Amino acid sequence: MPTLDDGERVPTWRRYLRFWRANPTGDVRDEVAFHIESAVEELVAAGMSREAARQMAKRKFGDVDGISETLQTLSQQRERDMTHAEWWDAIRNDVTFGLRQLRKSPVFTAIAVLTLALGIGATSAIFSVVYSVLLRPLPYAGADRILSFAQQNGPGSTWNLPFGNYGVWRSQATGFEALGATYGGPGTMTLTGVGDPAPIAATSASSEYWKAMFIPPVLGRYFTPEEDREGAPHVVVLSYALWQNRFGGDHNVLGRTLTLSGEVYTVIGVAPSAYLLYPPMEKLWLPLAPSSQRLADFSDHELTVYGRLKPGVPPATAVRQLTQIDTRLATEHPHSGYDGGVIATSLIDAVAGAQRSTLYMLLGAVGLVLLIACGNIANLLLARANVRRAEIAIRGALGATRGRIVAQLFVESLLLALGGGVVGLVVAIGAMRFLVSSPARIPRLQDATINGPVLAFALALSIVCAVVFGLVPAFRAARLDLQQTLRDGGRESRGAGRERLRKVLVVSELCVAQLLLIGAGLLIRSALLVQAVPVGFDTHDLLSIDISLPSAQYPERPRQEATLQQIESAIAAIPGVKSVGRTQVAPIHGFGWNWSAFREGSDGHDAGAASADMRAASLNYFSTLGLPLVRGRSFNTSDVANGPPVAIISRGLAMRLYGDADPIGRRIGNGGGKNPAWKEIVGVVADMHANGKLADPPLELYMPSTQYINGGQTFLVRGGLTVTTLLPAIRRAVGTVDPLLALSGIGTMDDDVEKKLAMSHFTTLLLTLLGATGLILAAVGVYGVIAYVVAQRTHELGVRMALGATQGGVKWLVVRQGLVLAVVGVTIGAGISLAAARLLSSMTFGITTHDPLTFGVVAAVLLSVAVLASYIPARRATRIDPLSALRGS
Amino acid sequence: MARSSVDLLQGTLDLIVLKTLSWGPMHGFGIARWIQLTTEDVLQVEEGSLYPALYRMENRAWIKAQWALTENGRRAKYYKLTAIGKRQLVAESKSWEQVSSAIGKIMTATRQPA
Repeated sequence: MPTLDDGERVPTWRRYLRFWRANPTGDVRDEVAFHIESAVEELVAAGMSREAARQMAKRKFGDVDGISETLQTLSQQRERDMTHAEWWDAIRNDVTFGLRQLRKSPVFTAIAVLTLALGIGATSAIFSVVYSVLLRPLPYAGADRILSFAQQNGPGSTWNLPFGNYGVWRSQATGFEALGATYGGPGTMTLTGVGDPAPIAATSASSEYWKAMFIPPVLGRYFTPEEDREGAPHVVVLSYALWQNRFGGDHNVLGRTLTLSGEVYTVIGVAPSAYLLYPPMEKLWLPLAPSSQRLADFSDHELTVYGRLKPGVPPATAVRQLTQIDTRLATEHPHSGYDGGVIATSLIDAVAGAQRSTLYMLLGAVGLVLLIACGNIANLLLARANVRRAEIAIRGALGATRGRIVAQLFVESLLLALGGGVVGLVVAIGAMRFLVSSPARIPRLQDATINGPVLAFALALSIVCAVVFGLVPAFRAARLDLQQTLRDGGRESRGAGRERLRKVLVVSELCVAQLLLIGAGLLIRSALLVQAVPVGFDTHDLLSIDISLPSAQYPERPRQEATLQQIESAIAAIPGVKSVGRTQVAPIHGFGWNWSAFREGSDGHDAGAASADMRAASLNYFSTLGLPLVRGRSFNTSDVANGPPVAIISRGLAMRLYGDADPIGRRIGNGGGKNPAWKEIVGVVADMHANGKLADPPLELYMPSTQYINGGQTFLVRGGLTVTTLLPAIRRAVGTVDPLLALSGIGTMDDDVEKKLAMSHFTTLLLTLLGATGLILAAVGVYGVIAYVVAQRTHELGVRMALGATQGGVKWLVVRQGLVLAVVGVTIGAGISLAAARLLSSMTFGITTHDPLTFGVVAAVLLSVAVLASYIPARRATRIDPLSALRGS
Repeated sequence: MARSSVDLLQGTLDLIVLKTLSWGPMHGFGIARWIQLTTEDVLQVEEGSLYPALYRMENRAWIKAQWALTENGRRAKYYKLTAIGKRQLVAESKSWEQVSSAIGKIMTATRQPA
């Protein structure tokens, strides 16, 4: 009987030979054949003829084919089980071994995991914002068929739709399931009878608005077409936050009546919070219910229009139809400001299109930081592979294939990356809180969380990282000359290729870091330049307050103006108030109303015409703002409602229409019609950045508030140093005129100017943080490589010092290497940055994306940091004891 | 050769095979022949039962198979007990003894059931 070797202690790797073993089918056939042959031999030996013996043996065995088939099935089952078992076994072994290896070098593991955690965490946090704002589906049913519409108003500029156009669209456009409209009016209403009187933002929405942008109501229903008509009973839909805060989420709120600015409304529904893009806001919706007078208006661009396309109707078809309608309307109603195009925007673009490029830029930037981190880890792994040469060589000698060694090393990288991913989630949660708390108004930002897609992203990112930093070092490590390494006793030999790879890595890191720093530098420079821009009026100690007279109580315009003047006087009488002015829309808060200005003799389309922003100004408006009068006079008490129409224009508008000539006394018209309401220009004031510092000063035209009466006004109050302390007195003063009036939109002009810059500050801050992180990581990379080079050259440096090299000489020798890397990196990086910085062109201000100062400073910073990072190992090099260095080799 | 009327239970066949292999590695034909010889032809193991039983036991890692040459220089698949198989044999022999002694007591009982 042959002896079998004891196979229970076969090393793991030997099992892989099984992949090439004989197939089960052949084994079964041979085994059965052997059995029958043996039986035949036995029978022949007992004296039977071979032929008869064969017959008998087969009969005795039974159904040969059937049994063979059973055996094959059993055998294949076994193969399958074993393959799976081996596969899992191999993975488990690799994981166990990998964990042991990582535990053996805790410092390396900690550095790698933390570096990755920082990179993966920051990237995941930005991704969670990108997901929440841009990628997350909109909550409306069939949101991909919803379009937002606007009219084109000159190149690159759009505006809302007049009621008239919307009415005609509703009756004539055929491609829509629903075509809804909203507008910002009536603005702020005073809610009385529920706690203290409170100002609540109120907007109007047509019944079809809710059909076009449908999310099931939390409670009740939305407006019916019958309620969306002039003279229909007053109904109101509450926002979720309003319902929660003021009504405690009471389900009996339906049917309840509310008093809003003195009028009674019935609550019919509560809209889910998803209707509001910004943090929970108290708000209510009234039916649009356009009056016939409004539906005949083709020049006031008030409405935001949303349409849900019928299935199968392409957006282009719908736009073409709407354009045809508007073109026809423009011939029927000339001077409506229609410029020949209807613009359709997908809903997600309408909601978050403005933030898209910035958010993706930030995602790209944080990805670059992660790339630098991966570069550092790859460098660490290359150094580690050198230390582990002996181990790897022995495993190779014991029969591990290169594939197995690569797999093992890659599993280690994967473990590091997954560890980094898990710790990174903690970083991500922190970073996300920081991002969500940003003052920048980014729609849907408040909903950003670490959810399924973000977790999947982090996991995928970890795996990608493992590939990026782990694969090349693993292949390198597995490509060993076994004999040579073992003969060397596992000590590292001169790995020139390895050194070159590490240097390439560091140069790449420096390039990427430079790209980040250039981006950050350009934005910082821009922010500084923006900060230095004068707004054009004195924004300090200036308080703004919105007050809106409800049209139900104040139906007539003269009474509105009289009341507003009363309020103005009451505020002005408060001790500490220096001056009060008002306008229908304050600078910084919003655009002036569009006013197509033209000089006498112009046809409204030539060089004598210009699109201006109109604001109605009270008597003390200019003096309160501190906007200097350049020519002529300011408005005075002689500019009464039925007096000769007058206007004051901005210097820019004066230059545009009249050049250097004196515009005082000339007449300026609106719209270019046959019978324009001419106004006499009585003054010229300075330009100002009324739309924020980032925008050019608009051309402005001012009318006296007596000649352009509007029930909604922003009061501008100039006071002492702490203007907000005047607020209680102002409330009291307003209350003496009408106790039901709500004060809203209260803020200081300084804050409002800053708010306009919040998004760009947010971007600048983030890019600066990312640039700094990239710089630190790249510096660590440079340090790592130079330290490694010093360790490699200990012997040589020892000899040099023994031969009389000075400390300074040795230091320079080492630092020079870092400097060379930095110079190469900075040179290549500058080229890449020149091309890539163009992506930032829409975010820079006052400089080109090739700003030489930024490029110069960044290059200097990178070079100095590289020198500094090399100086540390250089100093260590000078402490080499020549004798021990020589003896050591 | 008279066929045995004894119907071998699945577990019983396993026990017999394990016991057979406890003498040393053996191929399938050898196992069948050994059982037949040892029981003096009382138990004849059918190939249609023996081989699937061997394969199943291999799948359970009670035994392991390896190709080797016979004394006549022919290639045959030898089966060998594994450590798990040895433990299994001990356990199954024990329960077999219990069952057979229990059955023995019933067969030799002298008292009529109450």
